Amino acid sequence: MIASIPSAVLHGVDGRPVCVEVHVANGLPGFTVVGLPDAAVRESRDRVRAAFASSGLPWPRRRITVNLAPSGMRKGGAGLDLAIAVGVLVASGVLDPTAVAGRAFVGELGLDGSLRSVPGVLVLADALAGHEVVVADADGPEAALAATAIRSAPALADVVARCTGRRPWPEGPVPAHTSAREASGAPTGDLSDVRGQRLARRALEVAAAGGHHLLLVGPPGAGKTLLATRLPGLLPDLDPATARQVARIRSVLGDARPPGGLDVRPPFRAPHHGLSAVAMVGGGNAAHRPGEIGLAHGGVLFLDELGEFATPVLDALRQPLEDGVVRISRSGGSACCPARFVLVAAMNPCPCGEGGVPGACRCPSGARARYARRLSGPLLDRFDLALRVDRPPGVELLGDVPPGESTVVVAARVATAREHARSRGVTANVELGASDLDAAAPLDRPAADLLARHLRAGGLSARGLHGVRRTARTIADLDDGAPVVGARHVTEALLLRGGRALLLGEEVR
Amino acid sequence: MTGDDQAGAVALLDLPGMTPRRLARLLDGLGPALAWHAVRAGTHPGDRSRRFAAAARAVEPAAVLARYRAAGVSVLLPDAAGYPTALVGDPGAPAVLCALGTAELAEGRPAVAVVGTRSATPYGTSVAAELGRGLATAGVVVVSGLAVGIDAAAHAGALDAGPGAAPPVAVVGTGLDVVYPRGNAGLWERVATTGAVLSEAPLGTVARPRVFPARNRIIAGLADVVVVVECHGRGGSFHTVEAAARRAVPVGAVPGSVRSPASRGTNGMLVDGCTPIRDVDDVLVALALARGGRPPAPGPDRGARRPPADPRLVALDGHDRAVWEAVDDTPTTVETVLLRTDLSVATVSVAVGRLVADGLLLEGAGWWSRA
Repeated sequence: MIASIPSAVLHGVDGRPVCVEVHVANGLPGFTVVGLPDAAVRESRDRVRAAFASSGLPWPRRRITVNLAPSGMRKGGAGLDLAIAVGVLVASGVLDPTAVAGRAFVGELGLDGSLRSVPGVLVLADALAGHEVVVADADGPEAALAATAIRSAPALADVVARCTGRRPWPEGPVPAHTSAREASGAPTGDLSDVRGQRLARRALEVAAAGGHHLLLVGPPGAGKTLLATRLPGLLPDLDPATARQVARIRSVLGDARPPGGLDVRPPFRAPHHGLSAVAMVGGGNAAHRPGEIGLAHGGVLFLDELGEFATPVLDALRQPLEDGVVRISRSGGSACCPARFVLVAAMNPCPCGEGGVPGACRCPSGARARYARRLSGPLLDRFDLALRVDRPPGVELLGDVPPGESTVVVAARVATAREHARSRGVTANVELGASDLDAAAPLDRPAADLLARHLRAGGLSARGLHGVRRTARTIADLDDGAPVVGARHVTEALLLRGGRALLLGEEVR
Repeated sequence: MTGDDQAGAVALLDLPGMTPRRLARLLDGLGPALAWHAVRAGTHPGDRSRRFAAAARAVEPAAVLARYRAAGVSVLLPDAAGYPTALVGDPGAPAVLCALGTAELAEGRPAVAVVGTRSATPYGTSVAAELGRGLATAGVVVVSGLAVGIDAAAHAGALDAGPGAAPPVAVVGTGLDVVYPRGNAGLWERVATTGAVLSEAPLGTVARPRVFPARNRIIAGLADVVVVVECHGRGGSFHTVEAAARRAVPVGAVPGSVRSPASRGTNGMLVDGCTPIRDVDDVLVALALARGGRPPAPGPDRGARRPPADPRLVALDGHDRAVWEAVDDTPTTVETVLLRTDLSVATVSVAVGRLVADGLLLEGAGWWSRA
């Protein structure tokens, strides 16, 4: 007899529906799985058989063939266990086919017959829209975020009992939304913890309001990390679509999720500089796991000690920084993962750490240029904001400085600026295309003259010019939302841009 | 001295593994031609281990000399014409000196070494250039090391002095065919054309940390006065100062801001009793004292001199004035200006834009200083 049970496997950050076909026939007792299974799927034979024994279910002493369709696609993970088990039950006549009609099954089986959680259950349930998806109890709350009906059960025996109607299904799990700032796992410090650092605070505000990438250059101990960790708090809550994307990516990686809910706070990722290009952008095995930039989607990617990252890792960032999506191609196919984030990078100006302002650095000039060369020009060009962060100057300057504005105050201004951006059809000004700029950020005459002067002086590339215009747009939005961008906005945008000279400590003009 | 002596000296200099000290030992008491033959024969008393004998047998001195001459390098030997008289009798005098240009042009003139850090501030480079120009105009040979920063600025200043000024002399650590740092190639060329570039290293010697302190002793030996414009706590300039102190050459230092790391060393020297150098006149006074002559008569307004008020400064008002006053002569970070003025980033950036356009401020990457 034949059974056909819907289930799904992961591919990148998407689920692919898989039909588990089980054929039970006369012949030498055996159990084969075909259809490009990986090792974890092949091992499911042993788990399923043991789970049957532990659950008191009869194991057919006949020839069992399992086919995973479409058979041309590679399948991995243990999430197919439950579907295979149910398929065997139906094909051997233990379960009536009508009992499982309209249902899909996703879950890993333990040897004791219990149902275990699988990574990416949200994505898998999404891929099975239209079915009632049966998952492990542990996966219930996460799967409930999916746009389809969800049932959950603690063990294989319960699934059988509930499908046959001997026992009722409990109420489906309910997703709980959370916007608590603690829940996101992002750093929670307040902006008022930063003393002085007016320029950097302003840059943080502009970065949060416009989604501009930010480079902090300064000696050790200047507070670069402190500043960077204050950025997520300034960002507004994620819109529902982005929050779902974030939840899907986290689900795929089996990342710590907030108790049963959709996390609407922007994520904050701070990978160590030793990571590989694959860990950064994603890839690896046939499943195309998302990398750090996928996990940072909608939030902040903080790269401390930018100069210590391997050059290929940094250059791999260039395409996603531009497109907001990373395309990972491997021999097994390609996958797309959303990756729109604010990149915040911190680095020392030179190997000794003290450089930048002339006269302070003890590095040979060659060593300094070599250090600056580690960042490719195109990558550096993508930082709309690049500034020096110095250790707070002497106590006499800081003694009577009142603590700066707190996160709440600045976040309110950021939210207003984002309203302006939304009226132009983007969530943040950084998404404005070059062709949109003339309409969205028209320049008045002095502002245009100023930019033309900078272009002639050779300090700006075309990409840089667009960056300055976007930043100026954001500054105007923070200011009063004036429709026309003025010279003062452009002047400030140019000041905040800095550029490669920051690393070389050269005079600009 | 004969051509044989020059060929022998340069052949010895060119042997692999030769150092200035070993060369001095080999040439001590023997003429270069004789020393060469002794080394080659393995009978030189200074080369008992015969480390150079095998290498020397593969070398034809005349060919080596021809190679140096083809590179435009003249070989100067003590006791022979062309060798700087200031170095004769110097305890650390190089036994062989290679020269590009004409070292004789500097003979008979007073010489002042203008040295300092490679990571100089705009203040340091402008003072060095001013001193270089003023000294060259006054007929004083400016000696320096052609490094980036202060050295380069001093040479550039001396070259700016125009016709009739004293020629500059550079002492470098690398071989004369290895321009280091490469960014100074143009300056190197001009110094070699106008004055002389000296080196005790054989052709092909590349930049190594140890060649520079050795070069600094020659600078100190050539100079009647050493002026340090800017230097950090320790470093290359200190080697020059120590070498000068051993030779009883007076050392002057240009005072700087107590907040500027690049002036930390020079300010420390002033505390230790070095002569403060404010301008060219101060150097000339120190030079006259060093050479046992009479100091030049002070100008009538010396001491009471004050630069005339800049009309652009008088016209400043409002935020522009506040920002101008918040910026030092030394690089001042944006952050410091924001703290001092208590103005917003937008206001300060607009004010700075105007001041830079007026030429009152210099703009750097993340810092400003007064022009």
